[in-house]
Formats: sequence, structure tokens, C-alpha cells
Amino acid sequence: METVTPQVVFTIFGIAIKDSVVSTWVIMVVLITLAWFVGKYKPGIAEVIIDSISGIVASVMPDDTKVIKYLSILGTLAIFLVVANIFSVIPFLVAPTANINTTLALAIVVFFAVHGFGILEKGPWGYIKSVASPIFILPLEIVSQVSRTVSLSIRLFGNILSTDLIVAIVFSIIPFFLPLPLVALSILTGVLQAYIFTVLASVYIASAVVVEDKETERRRLKREASRSS
Amino acid sequence: MWELDPPTLITVLTIIFSSIGIVLGCVVPAIMEGIATKQALESMARQPEAANDLRTTLLISMALLESTAIYVLLVILILIFVNPLLDRFFI
Repeated sequence: METVTPQVVFTIFGIAIKDSVVSTWVIMVVLITLAWFVGKYKPGIAEVIIDSISGIVASVMPDDTKVIKYLSILGTLAIFLVVANIFSVIPFLVAPTANINTTLALAIVVFFAVHGFGILEKGPWGYIKSVASPIFILPLEIVSQVSRTVSLSIRLFGNILSTDLIVAIVFSIIPFFLPLPLVALSILTGVLQAYIFTVLASVYIASAVVVEDKETERRRLKREASRSS
Repeated sequence: MWELDPPTLITVLTIIFSSIGIVLGCVVPAIMEGIATKQALESMARQPEAANDLRTTLLISMALLESTAIYVLLVILILIFVNPLLDRFFI
């Protein structure tokens, strides 16, 4: 259990710095350096990555959405999560997403991004009207927002923690060759969970930005048709 | 079994019911995911041009189904490793 629970590495002014935070810093430094290097010297690789991520995001958003507006946060989430989920493959390092604080922080970022994009797209009053168009929808909407944030964080945390735990348990029993398929399984789960987190975040952003627009558009067309006829 | 002292009794009961819970929490989502995959594969075989949409929807719904099994796993990990009942009553 010591290999998957967060350990205190050092303390700054009485604040304990856990090893998942140190892993996050390492990933940040590596990703920023790689992004600078790839953007400056190998723009083709960056183009391939951006194309694939924007294809994934565009496949779940409605057709007339401008994907490029939301690609900065969703692409950052995807790249960070892919690296962070398979980070525990390297010996003596822990995945930052095996700590619930990291995943809860990411889910809260997605929560505020959803409402921020909604407000940017429709204006504050329009967004409130679209969320609570009959007023008794509002409590259901609040419950659904909170529960989707909690479930987004707990899904990622539980998957990564459980695969890390399985690898640790099997490694403590038989340390030769038998953990290798389970490590492969943990890599697969990590990449799949990063994909699912990104896809669900884009589904939530699309539901805040687009669907009600199309609904009001449909109502307006219907009203004009009935008026003209 | 009831003449054991209370912390041991709570530990034994926790282990027994955690086993039952993890079996139920793994089997039921696995059956449901199998049903979802079966339907999606049949639809893909019937309409190969809709395979991409079906695959995306299948992955999202499988993630939502799988999260219930993950909730069961989390509750049972908490019960086994940091049992709140033992902490509250006996330490």
C-alpha cells in the first residue's frame, strides 16, 4: 500500500509536499520543454498531434461547432493526462492521477471551463436562461453539474489507483515477468481514461455551448413558420 | 463467531462483506457492458458506415457503466485499508 498512497517528500513552511505534486512538476517541466522543442524545430509532429486531438473532439461535438476555440484546454487535458496516467510505469515514480486531489482539481477546472464557455458564448443572462428555462429545472441542473464533476474525478482516480494497486500487489507476490501484462493493462487503461476524460469534457462543453442554441433556433423557426402560415 | 471481541468481529465482518460486495459490483457492470458491446457490434455489422459514431458512443457509455464498479472498488478499499468504524469506536 505504501507504493500507491502519497508519501511526503519534503515540507515548505510547514506545508507537506507529497510525491504526486513532485510528479506533476516533473511532468510540467518535461511537457513545456517538449512543447517548446517540438514547436520550434519539428512543427510537423505538433501538427499531427493537434490534428488527431481536434478530430477526437470534433467527433463528439455537433458539426457546426468551432472546435479550435476549445482545443487549448481540451488538448492540454489530453496530453497531460496521457503522460500522467502512464507515469507510474517508470520505476520509483508515482502517477499524479492516483491521488484524488489531482483529479478533483482537473474536474473542477472542467466545471469552470464549461460555465465559462457557456457564458462567453451566450452572455450571462442568456446562459442563465438556457440553464433554467423552466425554473424548476434549476435544482436538477445543479445536482447534475455537481455529480458529473464528482464522477469525472472519481472515475479517473479509481481506474488509475486500481491498476497501480494490482501491479503493486502482483509485484509483491511474484516479482518476475508476471507483472508485465498487468503493466501493459495499466498503460492501456491510462490512455483509455485520458481519452474518456477528454471526450466527456468536450461533451459537457458542447452541451453548455451548442444544444440549447439549436433548440432555440428550432423554436424560432417553428414560430416564424406558424406566424407566416 | 459472536464471542469474538468487537474489533476482530468488525474486521471479520468487513472482510466477508467486502468480498460479497466486490463480486456483485464487478459481475453486474460486466454483464451490462457485455450487453452494450453485443448490441453495438450487431449494429456495426448491420451498418458499417455508422461504425465511428457507434464506437465513440460505446466508449463513453462503457466509461459511465464502468464507473459504478469503480465506486464499489473505492468503498471496499476504504473499508479494508482505512476502516472508519474501527477508527471511530476503538482507537
